[in-house]
Amino acid sequence: MNNALKGFLAGIAAVALIITPACKTNKTKVKDDHVVVQPDTAPPSVTIPPNDTATRVQPTDDFVKTDTAPAVTSDVLPTDTEELNRYLQGKGLIRDAFFEYAEATLSSDAQAALTTSANWLKANSKYNLLVEGHCDERGTEQYNLALGDKRAQQAKDYLVASGVDASRIRTVSYGEERPFDPGHDESAWGQNRRAHLVLVGK
Amino acid sequence: MKRSLIAIALALSAASLAAQSQIVTTVDPSQAAKVLKIAIPFPELTPPAGNANAVAVAQEVVHAPFFSVLTRDIAASGVLAIAAIPPNVPASANLAKQVGADFALQMKMWTEANDVVVEARLLDTTGGQPFGKRYRGVVASLPLMAHSLATDLVRAIYGKPGIFLSRIAFASDRTGNWEIWLMDWDGQNQRQITQHGALSILPSWSPDNERMVYTSFARGTSDMYIINRRGGGRIRIPTNLALNTSATFSPVGNDIAFVGSVNGNPDIYLIKDDGSNVRRLTSSATIESTPEWSPNGRQISFTSGRSGTPQIYVMDAEGTNVRRISFEGEWNDDASWSPDGEQLAYTSRVNGRFQIRIMNLVTGQSRIVAGEGSNEQPAWSPDGRWIAFQSNRSGAWQLYRMRVDGSDIQQLTTSGENKEPDWSKKIE
Repeated sequence: MNNALKGFLAGIAAVALIITPACKTNKTKVKDDHVVVQPDTAPPSVTIPPNDTATRVQPTDDFVKTDTAPAVTSDVLPTDTEELNRYLQGKGLIRDAFFEYAEATLSSDAQAALTTSANWLKANSKYNLLVEGHCDERGTEQYNLALGDKRAQQAKDYLVASGVDASRIRTVSYGEERPFDPGHDESAWGQNRRAHLVLVGK
Repeated sequence: MKRSLIAIALALSAASLAAQSQIVTTVDPSQAAKVLKIAIPFPELTPPAGNANAVAVAQEVVHAPFFSVLTRDIAASGVLAIAAIPPNVPASANLAKQVGADFALQMKMWTEANDVVVEARLLDTTGGQPFGKRYRGVVASLPLMAHSLATDLVRAIYGKPGIFLSRIAFASDRTGNWEIWLMDWDGQNQRQITQHGALSILPSWSPDNERMVYTSFARGTSDMYIINRRGGGRIRIPTNLALNTSATFSPVGNDIAFVGSVNGNPDIYLIKDDGSNVRRLTSSATIESTPEWSPNGRQISFTSGRSGTPQIYVMDAEGTNVRRISFEGEWNDDASWSPDGEQLAYTSRVNGRFQIRIMNLVTGQSRIVAGEGSNEQPAWSPDGRWIAFQSNRSGAWQLYRMRVDGSDIQQLTTSGENKEPDWSKKIE
């Protein structure tokens, strides 16, 4: 295979990756697209830097769900733990689980968030995880510390059931002591009832 | 401060006072409703003749830190009222008679070396002197001397000491982190006890008022610590459990009740204060939290979600004989026993706001006290007359105290946010 063809196929692969989120699990369509391209057609003039390609792909949740997460190479992840957490949360690769008032059971949304997080954690086994249980201010402090413990454990149990090694996950409850949103309305309370996932150094 | 604690409150050895019995007038506690009146003129500041070491003390030195503290204590005592008196009249039996008081308090103050000396004599209307005592300490100890004198006066007249030497432990974020703090019963003399630089909360006194147990996140996990009341001797009590919250000393023996958790199942546990002998008392799959000992140590109240909402329960200290106490409202927590063991004060949600509810365990009747804002975490004074609590009525969490009937509400803190009061247990 000559270099031109290699570059061309890399380009195809990149296109396929970009398309993937939109077509979700329809991998055969990607294959069809590949077939459509005639081998003797002139290679596209775009020269995509091979190393950058994968990381430039916008990783949506769907992208991660199709098990292509390893395409995000770890060498471009922020080395600072705080930055790393901001980056992964910002990209939606690690997602917190939110709870109903006074509840510690996982809603389907919370389960989806944890599935996303589990996928990234499985693909990036060099990171350990701290799960913080948080509550809104409407309860009492002492009971909420216990409720936060239950929330954190529920999230941990789901991650473990999704294949993340239990020994990588530690939990702590902050009850209502460390709200994310200092407000006193429904929107703030909704933000504050969560299992917050924090990557910690190995 | 520590040295002055030892230095003060030396019983008067002078022959003139030693001959007197310290307590000759004792009111039957069953007549507690009778409020006796006492005339308290400002202390005489002329050094006593014949004491070559005595030097005059300035009025401004003793006014706020001593005289104001003393009169505030007496006015709040519930058993003594302060009689209105004409200005510049020295204390005497005659003065007491003139103003319709039962007693007059004569005080002389001066300085000796580095100490301020207070000589106090309680005079009745017949020329008798039911009480006399001399106190001394450095200027910084003047409030403590005033609290000591007020405590002794109530003891001399009423038969039981006042609680003016009691202290309230609490958590405050005024340094930027939540740390454990202490203050005198009147909110004065607030001082920081822990220096974790990390979330440190829920202090609870030992029965001898020497130590506190609390929870700190200093290691990134929530751990149980014990510290003495001067901020020294800090130890961590390892439990091998999560949470380690709501820890509280048994009033008898050396057990600590606390909330521990294994695999996200918070339950009530006991541990010895040396970290040995962990025992689990509850075994429900639901949340159990907030244990509190009955004053005789035989029962433990706690909060459980087993009915679907947080409610107050009581069990025997062995974990048996569990019965539900609270039935009103969909969120109850923070139960605290009155010193006589007959009442439970707890946080109870009423119309969407938390209020302090006081439940009579004998009759099963309860009433709501407090008022504006959310009012939580009640703590009884050691004489059962007052309740300290936290309220957000000002827009921030601050500590207040009130009489058990809800009257006389006074704000105790203003700096930063403050919460989780626990009143010292033993009357000193």
